[in-house]
Amino acid sequence: MSVRKDSSSRDGPPFGRILVANRGEIAVRVIRACRELGIESVAVYSDADASALHVRMADRSERIGPPSPAESYLSIPALIDAARRSGAEAVHPGYGFLSENAAFARAVEEAGIVFIGPPAATLAALGDKLEARRSAVAAGVPVVPGLLVPLEDPAAVDLSEVGFPAMLKAAAGGGGRGMRRVDRAEDVAAALETARREAISAFGDGTVYVERLVSPARHVEVQLLGDRHGTLVCLGERDCSVQRRNQKLVEETPSPAVTPALREALFDSARRVAGTVDFHNAATVEFLVDAGGSHYFLEMNTRLQVEHGVTELVTGIDMVAWQIRVAAGIRLPRAVTEPEPRGHAIEVRLYAEDPYDGFRPVSGRVGAWRMPDGPGVRVDAGVEADTDLPPQYDPLLAKLIVHAADRDAAVARLRRALDETLIGGVQTDLGFHRWLVDQPEFASGHYDTGLIGSRWGDGAALEDAAAGIAAAAAMAARRSSLPGAMPGLLVESTDSGWGRLARREAIR
Amino acid sequence: MRGFEARIGGVPVEPAVASHFEWIDRARGIARLRTAEGDLELVVEGRGPSEWLVTVAGRRIAVSIQTWRERMLAEAEGSARAHAGPVEIRATLPGLVVAVGAEAGSEVSEGQPLITIEAMKMQNEVRAPRDGTVTEVLVEPGQTVATGTPLLRVG
Repeated sequence: MSVRKDSSSRDGPPFGRILVANRGEIAVRVIRACRELGIESVAVYSDADASALHVRMADRSERIGPPSPAESYLSIPALIDAARRSGAEAVHPGYGFLSENAAFARAVEEAGIVFIGPPAATLAALGDKLEARRSAVAAGVPVVPGLLVPLEDPAAVDLSEVGFPAMLKAAAGGGGRGMRRVDRAEDVAAALETARREAISAFGDGTVYVERLVSPARHVEVQLLGDRHGTLVCLGERDCSVQRRNQKLVEETPSPAVTPALREALFDSARRVAGTVDFHNAATVEFLVDAGGSHYFLEMNTRLQVEHGVTELVTGIDMVAWQIRVAAGIRLPRAVTEPEPRGHAIEVRLYAEDPYDGFRPVSGRVGAWRMPDGPGVRVDAGVEADTDLPPQYDPLLAKLIVHAADRDAAVARLRRALDETLIGGVQTDLGFHRWLVDQPEFASGHYDTGLIGSRWGDGAALEDAAAGIAAAAAMAARRSSLPGAMPGLLVESTDSGWGRLARREAIR
Repeated sequence: MRGFEARIGGVPVEPAVASHFEWIDRARGIARLRTAEGDLELVVEGRGPSEWLVTVAGRRIAVSIQTWRERMLAEAEGSARAHAGPVEIRATLPGLVVAVGAEAGSEVSEGQPLITIEAMKMQNEVRAPRDGTVTEVLVEPGQTVATGTPLLRVG
């Protein structure tokens, strides 16, 4: 047993050592929580991540395999081996990878190690989105109109009751994967085939169901935290309506679309859904809210969400620390069960992807990396300057989160923080976020899940002003690398405008 | 050093009025540019003497800075390439080939989906860049490809 570093807790840390079965920014986040709790952290890494930030930040590290996720971060035997070798008492799965995998939770439990998450049986029950839909209906929670059974043969089912446009969804899906929009009955068969293929390759299960597309809609989710003693608390909602490919890019709390009455209804539905399973840990119940203010259950995720940070900033509750404490059997205290939310928080996800080319993921190497700082700004990053981005993994680089007294102040703070941010080496979605904060829909809070599709499309055309600046900078950069170049001074020999200004400045 | 011109996507661009340029971090390309509108911080990365990637407000913009002579040489080379033989389509992102919808001899039209590559769990269609006949398919389903891997040729 290692030396306990925590002096703040009388009872000592909840665990001596935790294995963090993830990578990138979320592994860094969990490692930080461990350190604050006086717990030794064990990072795991594939060969592509041997010197990654999360590995360097942890107290110790274990290699789990080659770069391929299937042979490393998704390999249950490799992770169980690493947990055993390192003497970890608990495993934190982060999000993604195996965080909602019942077989992994079971394997951890069977190895005599605590899984920081719900029981394996709960993961199995919730992993099937179709089953979760049926449970929600049974619990009296509204769901999106659609089928409660798998879609097998489109010709044999009358989909006119579901209505078009409709969404095909993978039963094993989540995170926007395995989803296909269908606008006409005659397109169902082809879309079903694509959705099945994507579902099989992503989840190993091709079961697909269909529900009506709710549009316009807001995507609002309720954060839950439960302990092993039956206490369950709602830590507010998050609005995640800025999405591309049905995946979130921006999240905020409180939701500008949620009235006190709707909040009460959402919390009630979230509690009912959570009541259908044996649950402790952090969880999120996701809903769509339509233009009339009706809400429909989408899915429940019993893990930490990417966007947990906004809730942490307004409630002051460290959700990762409480996940760990709850896993050790500690009860949620009054300070957590009666949260007093303060102000407004917004998160933007900084992805290595090209918003000017359909948000296509990019790999490569981050060069320049300057993150914002100052009042009310939090950055959860998984990379730093001069970091290779392995193509095998999720392209999330960092989350930029701001907190301020109200929404207007938070938007202003976000704009300021984005202006301070510089990233080089790869294209990121930074420019999209900077565009977003200036859109009237976002500034007023009146946006929905169609915002990117209708307003951004494939990316704003390159503005002349930006092109001119890029041209001036590149020309100056080329000139600065010529022999005999004077640092700092542009001397243009042609008669362009900036050359004239340069000469004027030089003469002055 | 006389007569550089700037082009973005092959189109000449008038540089913005700027009076001062300095490197903040030369190795990583962080630079400061004084313009008529105010001072800006940018990331300016060189890819050879004439090719630059400038990140302005988060957008990476590829800029060619060439002398007249360099441009003439580049254009001559480009037009020779365009007229010579088939177009080779390469993977623009790393991933797994999950479907191939064309074979040697297939007549294809511009924009037609030819190959599906799965990356980051998303299915991405590779489309025909122009009308033509597929002369060669170089990958098969199940194959992992890196950025730049040749996928097929269209004649």
